[in-house]
Amino acid sequence: MLILPKFDYEEPKDLSEACKIMADLKGKGKIIAGGTDILVNMKKGLLAPSCLVSIGKIPGLSEIEPRNGSIFIGSNLIVAKLTEFDLIKKKYPILYEAASVLGSPLIRNRATIGGNIVTARPAADLPPALIALSGKVKLKNRKGEREVELDKFFVGPGETIIKEDEILTNIVIDEPPPLSGGNYIKLGHRKALEIAIVAVASWIVLDKPDGVIKDAKIILSSVAPKAIHAVSAEKILIGEKPTNKLIEKAASVASNDCSPIDDIRGSAQYRRAMVEVLTKRTLTAALKQAKNSK
Amino acid sequence: MKKLINLIVNNKSYELLVAPNRTLTQVLREDLNLLGTKEGCGIGDCGACTVILNGRPVNSCLILAVQANGCEIQTIEGVADGKNLHPIQEAFIDYGAIQCGFCTPGMVLSAKTLLERNPNPSELEIREAISGNLCRCTGYQKIVEAIKAASKKMKKKEERLDE
Repeated sequence: MLILPKFDYEEPKDLSEACKIMADLKGKGKIIAGGTDILVNMKKGLLAPSCLVSIGKIPGLSEIEPRNGSIFIGSNLIVAKLTEFDLIKKKYPILYEAASVLGSPLIRNRATIGGNIVTARPAADLPPALIALSGKVKLKNRKGEREVELDKFFVGPGETIIKEDEILTNIVIDEPPPLSGGNYIKLGHRKALEIAIVAVASWIVLDKPDGVIKDAKIILSSVAPKAIHAVSAEKILIGEKPTNKLIEKAASVASNDCSPIDDIRGSAQYRRAMVEVLTKRTLTAALKQAKNSK
Repeated sequence: MKKLINLIVNNKSYELLVAPNRTLTQVLREDLNLLGTKEGCGIGDCGACTVILNGRPVNSCLILAVQANGCEIQTIEGVADGKNLHPIQEAFIDYGAIQCGFCTPGMVLSAKTLLERNPNPSELEIREAISGNLCRCTGYQKIVEAIKAASKKMKKKEERLDE
């Protein structure tokens, strides 16, 4: 049996109490939400915080709230709920798709959206979809609150710009513009309990139903130290009329926008080849959705 | 420092003094002697430790007992109605869906949550619902057949109750 090391446990009743505890702990504390990641790392001896601070009892952090067209998602919301709310499925299908392939049903019932972000795993499922949707995170400490684009949040594997006394409280996603669509595909050896070999999230906005591509985002996951933009592929798409040929060209360019490594899950060469395939498939699906959206 | 917690396990309320580093699996097995919940991998990959927490099946090896304070928990011991087995348990026996038995409590609890939410699941939905529970004996086929049979049995029982 894997035994957890000893630690103290705090369960603040509101955010200001939580911020105070985190400030007093001076980096020796860690937030626990679902615990599906941090407890594994603690059992394996990779982490040994002297105190775990649970955000489970803080009101308002486990909800989805629409606000003036945007949605505010509490960081403690479990991933399963992202697959259950009609609002997410209808308005943000790309997030629904990413949430529904994370871990297993058992993990999704505990793992939280905030946890999947702050752990900054290069193969995490939610960040590519959230970056494609231009998501932002709200970070709070005793001194105040700041809002950061997810695009600027990740630094490298397990590393983010979050300070040791800050708590990720909310994820904010603006209303998708008209004629927009997105798609996420994760490639693994099996469907459940799998870490992606490659995953791609694509996002397209058109100016008119038969018009040109106004905005495009292609986020590549598991092929770099963090989720990255396929920068040159995005450039090829913007301002052009979407055709199969254009999508194929963008997909081929995308495979050179990443820096995959050889590991137990797949070789770098295979990953590059799959980036091309998945970019093409996700762009095609995103385009179809954009044309059909209002 | 130990914390005082309250757990409602199989409809019975318990007050327990637990150290923060003890998992729900440990407290269920060691303090409450509910040995039906197994610990396999201990890191959320195998599902042998599955319990139903506030209506959702979860890996109890990745939950601190202190996190479960105030929650309602159902373990495999709470599934049968007295001496009468649950239709899913009966079907597991009838279809030979049990070999070594280590995954069975988790399989039954994942299946039970599925059938309560979706009384008529497709084979794909069944396979998806038990995808967090690993079985190294049966090859899953018999488990899937047992869950399918249980769903039919439970439906018939409900129809009889409606009459």
